[in-house]
Amino acid sequence: MDIRLFHIFRNTPLGRETLLQSLYFCQKVGTSLLIYIPQHTKFLMYFENDVVQVDLDSSYLTAPHNARRHAEELAESCGMVPSFFTPKHFTASTLPDIPTRFEFMCCPRSISDLHSKIGLGYIGPRVRRIVKSARFPVLMTSGAHKEWRRITVFFGGSANAVKALRLGLRIGQKTGYPLDLFTQVEKGDEKDYRAVVASAGLEAAVAEGVHRWRFFKEGSFEENLYEVPHDALLIVGAFGHGVIRDVIFGNMMEKIQSIMPNNFLIAGPHCTAGS
Amino acid sequence: MRFWKSWRYPAHWPVPRLDDRLLLILAGAVVGTSSGLAAVALNRSLLWMLKSLMAYRHFWWSFLMPAAGAALSSLFLEKIVKEGAGHGVPEVIYSVSRRGGLLRFRSSYSRLVSSFLTIGSGGSAGPEAPVVMSGAAIGSSIARLFRLNERQRVTLVGCGAAGAISSIFNAPIAGLVFTVEVVLGEWTALNIVPIAIASVAGAQISRILQGNQIAFAHRQFPVDLLDSLATVGLAAFTAAASILLTWALRRSHGVSTRLPLPLWLRAACGGAVVGLIGFFFPVVIGEGYHWIREMIEGAFVSGFGLALLFVLAKITATAFTLGWGGSGGIFAPCLVIGSLVGLTYHRLLQILWPAADWINEGCFALLGMAGLISGMLQAPLTGIFLITEITGGYGVILPLIIVSTLSTTICHYLEPASFYLKELVERGQLLRPGTDGRVLTDLSVAELLEKDCIAVAPDMLLGDFIEILQKSRRNYFPVEDPATGTFLGMVHLDDIRPYLFNAGLYHAVLLGQIMKTGIETVHPDDDLPEILERMDANRLYSMPVVANERFLGMISKATLLDRYRKELKVQTTLQ
Repeated sequence: MDIRLFHIFRNTPLGRETLLQSLYFCQKVGTSLLIYIPQHTKFLMYFENDVVQVDLDSSYLTAPHNARRHAEELAESCGMVPSFFTPKHFTASTLPDIPTRFEFMCCPRSISDLHSKIGLGYIGPRVRRIVKSARFPVLMTSGAHKEWRRITVFFGGSANAVKALRLGLRIGQKTGYPLDLFTQVEKGDEKDYRAVVASAGLEAAVAEGVHRWRFFKEGSFEENLYEVPHDALLIVGAFGHGVIRDVIFGNMMEKIQSIMPNNFLIAGPHCTAGS
Repeated sequence: MRFWKSWRYPAHWPVPRLDDRLLLILAGAVVGTSSGLAAVALNRSLLWMLKSLMAYRHFWWSFLMPAAGAALSSLFLEKIVKEGAGHGVPEVIYSVSRRGGLLRFRSSYSRLVSSFLTIGSGGSAGPEAPVVMSGAAIGSSIARLFRLNERQRVTLVGCGAAGAISSIFNAPIAGLVFTVEVVLGEWTALNIVPIAIASVAGAQISRILQGNQIAFAHRQFPVDLLDSLATVGLAAFTAAASILLTWALRRSHGVSTRLPLPLWLRAACGGAVVGLIGFFFPVVIGEGYHWIREMIEGAFVSGFGLALLFVLAKITATAFTLGWGGSGGIFAPCLVIGSLVGLTYHRLLQILWPAADWINEGCFALLGMAGLISGMLQAPLTGIFLITEITGGYGVILPLIIVSTLSTTICHYLEPASFYLKELVERGQLLRPGTDGRVLTDLSVAELLEKDCIAVAPDMLLGDFIEILQKSRRNYFPVEDPATGTFLGMVHLDDIRPYLFNAGLYHAVLLGQIMKTGIETVHPDDDLPEILERMDANRLYSMPVVANERFLGMISKATLLDRYRKELKVQTTLQ
């Protein structure tokens, strides 16, 4: 099947940067681009066991007369021909249904709230819901277009981290870019993390596809994030820690996104992209 | 930790998982109780609001009250809960029909608040659709919490609807029948028990909190043959009123959406018109149950002309309330308009045949309600059982059946889809289980894709192609540009037949010369009903699936029929 990245276009300079990052991702990973230019500020995404209503901010409806032309021009400048999505089904007259059969979806860090918050590394609740429910990984972009030439997978040993690792191996294979693993050793030692990889049947793939696996035993997680290359695409599993940590401290994803300016690819709990 | 993980999520709770039916019954009771509570809460708050504002109705500025209520209601929906969608029941039917009963959690309270503001301030609408929406959303949320499958989720959505109707009217059978007839459109062994339980739970909650009250009690009506015959004419009147109300609602919505005004301002304008009408004809204000009681008791004194004027006023007020952005349902307005139509008809009979011994006008008001509900919803059983239960007796069951069935039939003849379903039918989104449209929609192109086609290049010699042909089981061969992978056309076995027995051409003819270009292709996102229509129109048995100029596979009628049968069995097998 055609592998597609779904992008909701915002006809503003910020939207231009986001689209450029989607285009870059598509070029590198070899996917096609499907663009939705919203006609309404609301839409619904029906997942297998959840329905997510996204309330876009009004900047998504800026200058609708030239939105498509702008998107096409940007795509052409990258040598791509995008497809445009027109909703066929509506839950109500102003509430279109957006299908969820994509392989990737691009979200700015927030699609529901004021975009002034995005620069502060704030992930909006709708983006969280999408990450939580979707079968596809979500590409979360930085504020300005930034090319990436490396891949870093954050591997903390959880089930979602294994999904992120699979996804990283796949992206690494597609792009040919070096893939690094980043592990903050918190419990046990290196052997335990390697055992998780082995039990997931990824030992050979990691040996072959991973350029460098870095274990950080000293220093805080935030401190060690400085070692992540500035030009890396970060791949992370959502909710990458234990239950108690999730509830009390927030999770790995939260911490990384609030510190790192890089692009992220997030594999949620239902993500099947890497398998 | 494992213990904590397993109990943190209700979906992992082991106890009710012992038996799916038991789980549904328990969940149905919970949903019915919850939707019953929601219905009672709305009912009580509406009564309080209507009573509180009663003292101010005679002031000249009272027309501003429905305007303010409708504006606040639409602002609440649009800006706070961001749910400016529909008036409830069609949305529930859409979700059941197309989305396996998935509804947003916010719908479980949003319509209660918005319709409280609209109706409480005097808007002409009913609280039934909002509580149906609320109950259905509660059912859907509980199903999601327990991670139930699609069929079970739909059943719980039905439980919510049944509990709501059952609670608001204290009418458990009407709740059950309405759900099966209008919302779900199917009656199966799997869904009927939990829905009945939910209906009972809803009614019980209503009886505990509000007492076992019959909404519109009346004395016995000794209906004779002459009265029964007269109900045939009443059915025609109620059918006409149903069509007129449907038309007015849709027309007013169409007009209001064309105005370049924000939704809240449109709602305010509509509310102001309702307030003005209500100033002269108080019968149009609010849900209007008080007036129904008067009519059934025979205490409504207005003559034929005034009653007819009230019918038109109520229809106009309802159209301005719901069509211009107010929130609420059509059940209560239907009951009021129906009873007014019944009354008008009775007056007309008395004018035409003054010597005849007609039954009390209350009976006709009651029959009019049944006729209008049946006509609007095109659901005769709902009309019959609702009126039977809310009036507390089977005394008029025979004329009730006549007027309900005839009104439904006439309305169906003039307007094939009911008010709730019309928009969905027009958009092709009403897909009842086991129907052609539903089966096709539940399949996707990706599931039917036949990928075992061998791609060939346009510069391939016929001789080389024949070698490939020997290895393949297929008659179709996609031709792709070897450099870019772009789909160029197709070669069908029939296309090479003329050259097949002339070996001299094997090294002279290229596939690019034989292949067909500009052929009909399908996109993976296309809907199967459309694809089938195109196949029939072009007499094709299979079509290539192409996206971004890349060939993905073939889709054929044979595979489609095979999967269609399997899906049909799944949807129609009783569980």
